[in-house]
Amino acid sequence: MREKKPALIVTFATTAAAMEAESFCLARQLPGRIIPVPREITAGCGLAWKAPPEAEAQLTDALREAGLAWSAMQVLEV
Amino acid sequence: MLQVNAMGDTCPIPVVKTKDAIKELGAQGGVVETLVDNEISVQNLTKMANQKGYGVKSEKLGENQFRVTMTVGEGAAQIAGNEPTACIIPSGREKNLVVAVSSDQMGGGAEKLGKTLLKGFLYALGQQDVLPKTILFYNGGAALTCEGSASLEDLKSLEAQGVEIMTCGTCLDFYGLTEKLQVGEITNMYTIVEKLAGADLVVNP
Repeated sequence: MREKKPALIVTFATTAAAMEAESFCLARQLPGRIIPVPREITAGCGLAWKAPPEAEAQLTDALREAGLAWSAMQVLEV
Repeated sequence: MLQVNAMGDTCPIPVVKTKDAIKELGAQGGVVETLVDNEISVQNLTKMANQKGYGVKSEKLGENQFRVTMTVGEGAAQIAGNEPTACIIPSGREKNLVVAVSSDQMGGGAEKLGKTLLKGFLYALGQQDVLPKTILFYNGGAALTCEGSASLEDLKSLEAQGVEIMTCGTCLDFYGLTEKLQVGEITNMYTIVEKLAGADLVVNP
């Protein structure tokens, strides 16, 4: 069985918003990566930004500053 | 009553032999007893009987010896043997799953979305409890194992867990990527054909 670790999962309202946030985060070299939204959150389809839990404040500030909206941030074992 | 000795036979032979015996029973039906030496054959015979509506019971006679008894009703034997014989894949045996990545995108459509989807696919692949045996990368897919690929971390983690990562050498050469390979090994068309032909299941994202 694969070992699960806590991670900050940021979800977005649309696929386009998630991809825009990905481009922004990569350009700004913010920690994390894009992943499919974990099944624990929704059975639906979608993309999420996965980052270390301690990056929450940094990401919140950066996304807010850039005017990029997200739906939810939560720490999950993935 | 007819007896079928399928000791030492593996699927689908016990089912094939039993079907032949059922045909021999003819229109009046009757009982067929099949001896097998493994539980998978018992499961396959039971499944076949249930599908056909035959009466079926099985008993363990000893270590590696089982008897499956089918009761075939009048007229029921005539429908036997006209369809393919399916086998249950023995549980516990790992399927030889091969993933073939032939493009740097998943599906056709917007390029940006296709690339993001493939990245997500390779991530999700590494999250499965049962991992593929081999992942093949060819044509546009060859870029995924090379410098600059956003999936290197996922692929290295899959490789560390025992998944073979193989990239087409002709493709690396064509795209000028031979020196940029970062994960797995370079392969050729013979091995690609062998891996695809030897797979139980091939997944094309």
